[in-house]
Amino acid sequence: MKYLLICFGMFWGFSMISQNKEVLYGLEEVPQSMLLNPGSRISYKKHFGIPFFSQIHVNGGSSGVSAYDIFKDSGGDINDRIQNKIAELKNTDFFTATQQLDILSFGWKNKKEYYFSGGVYQEFDFIFYFPKDIALLAWEGNANYIGKEFDLGELSTQGDLLMVYHLGVNKKLTNKLTLGFRAKIYSSLFSFRSISNKGTFVTRLSETDNNTYEHIINNADLTVNTSGIASLSDMGNSSQVVQKVLGRAFFGGNVGLGADIGATYEINEKWLASASVLDVGAIFHKKDIESYKISGDYTLDGIELLFPPLGNGDSTPPYYDDLIDDIEEAFPVDTIYNSYTQMRPLKLYASIKYNFGKAIGGSGTCNCLKMGENQEFNQSVGFQYYSMFRPKGPQMAATLFYYRRFSDYISVKATYTADSYSFTNIGLGFVANLGKVNFYLTADNLLWYQNIAKAKSVSLQLGFNIIFNEE
Amino acid sequence: MKKKLPLLLLFIAVILFFSACIKDTDFNQTDDIEVTPILELDFLFSNISSQTFTDIGVNNLVLSDTTDFSFLNDDFTVDNLERAEFYFKNTNSMPVNFEMKFQFLDENNEEHYLITIPITSGELNNPVVSEYIENIETDGIVSLTMADKVVLSVEASSIVDNIEGTLKLQSKATYYLKIIQ
Repeated sequence: MKYLLICFGMFWGFSMISQNKEVLYGLEEVPQSMLLNPGSRISYKKHFGIPFFSQIHVNGGSSGVSAYDIFKDSGGDINDRIQNKIAELKNTDFFTATQQLDILSFGWKNKKEYYFSGGVYQEFDFIFYFPKDIALLAWEGNANYIGKEFDLGELSTQGDLLMVYHLGVNKKLTNKLTLGFRAKIYSSLFSFRSISNKGTFVTRLSETDNNTYEHIINNADLTVNTSGIASLSDMGNSSQVVQKVLGRAFFGGNVGLGADIGATYEINEKWLASASVLDVGAIFHKKDIESYKISGDYTLDGIELLFPPLGNGDSTPPYYDDLIDDIEEAFPVDTIYNSYTQMRPLKLYASIKYNFGKAIGGSGTCNCLKMGENQEFNQSVGFQYYSMFRPKGPQMAATLFYYRRFSDYISVKATYTADSYSFTNIGLGFVANLGKVNFYLTADNLLWYQNIAKAKSVSLQLGFNIIFNEE
Repeated sequence: MKKKLPLLLLFIAVILFFSACIKDTDFNQTDDIEVTPILELDFLFSNISSQTFTDIGVNNLVLSDTTDFSFLNDDFTVDNLERAEFYFKNTNSMPVNFEMKFQFLDENNEEHYLITIPITSGELNNPVVSEYIENIETDGIVSLTMADKVVLSVEASSIVDNIEGTLKLQSKATYYLKIIQ
């Protein structure tokens, strides 16, 4: 039982990482695919998601290390493995965690064939770049790195918990082109970021010859922006914190605006292209803001003793206290209450697919159930591109996929993805339409499910919807 | 049968996803993690001339100064310092031998560790460098980390009044830490 609990816990623990939903993208049977492309084709008349169960998405990963790399039960000493990983990882490697929960989801087609969709979802997004130099300094110290400049600017992290209220519209403009747009209002529950840091630390042989070394912090400029966090420190206990945070869910905190745009273009009945741009927007942090800034330069070369003549009752100079005071004065911590704007992490999807196999909805060259529209087929293969803009540049992924519709009520999509995490990411999605109930389950990194410890990232979505098809 | 197919596939998918597990790993190894950084830090330095002695008094042979060094008995240091190696370099251009003492005292001025360094006389145009390394481990570390101040005394072997030259002290410490859970 304990083993089972550990496995379950680790499964969810490791499921906390990236935002690429490569399996769900283009799965038009699932209403939540509209959140990835508001211009996707919609074949149903209306839908609503089971509240809190229409989309549960968790994703987690690290680009350079898996739990197995560190905690494998064979292969030497764990300290050697950590040391080797610190040496191997780059400062662009990262740890991420993303989670989304659809709270409300609905949509309907009006008489003019516009499909409106809306809802509310909660999102948590976190990224922490591996500060290689700081890790090296902490793990090994400076003794073997005399003269090396440790980059303090590698410290880069960002985290957000927010609610997103959205309303979208989708319209098939022509037989070939479907366009969609979604407006979003972000309600931030809390946010922090520290992404534009700089400075170096070096221990070098003394150039002044005062003492053996000079320990120099040069051009340090470190900033942490927080919003919605400062007031939480006054809370007495965790339940008060939770209550306060949840109280901001309905625009009680800082708000922002954003948009998603997407399109699907049916080149012909065999080829289909689609693309979307998500979260073009920003959150304007104005309430409950505290930013902390440390900047300065300092050179330490030890304590100089001056041997001053002292009379009876005189005490020696406070060398040590003066040194501490000097350092504190050199690096004052400024608390800033200025508002700031935070761009949302922009995401791009693009896809092209080739349809083949058995004709659906009729036979031959026409779609007899939808006269005048392109024939649909039960299989397709294609390519997808995904990019998400992060503080140190975009995270990209390329996906090959195979889609098969087994019947009116079963569809499956298999994916192979190469991304920042690995080149061995196989994903699988499953959609079932049982009457009006639409259920979907998608996950990636299946090769590692036999041992998730070896996976560098895991993504999972599942949900239930009620769908009313066209009559 | 056809209607049971989706349920079967769903069942297989759910089993697949939720049979995901962690294998061949031992998270209890966190107990074995030892962070062992080696820190090189400057220690004390000074530049003494005959004037420094005569400022105290004519024919004075002894200088002494004290600094707090509470880093040594900080909880973190007490818990994690495994070994310390002090390196002292004295460059003497005065024609006098000296004895240098580093006394590590606690707040009640009780001595817990003592380093004594002989310094050879030199010449103004031919300074003599005396180097000294003090390696402190085990019981020595326990004593050292009870101290929170350092008294540096310099005793001349003969009168230094009006002698040209300087005694220049440079020093550093190498701290070997072992941080465990």
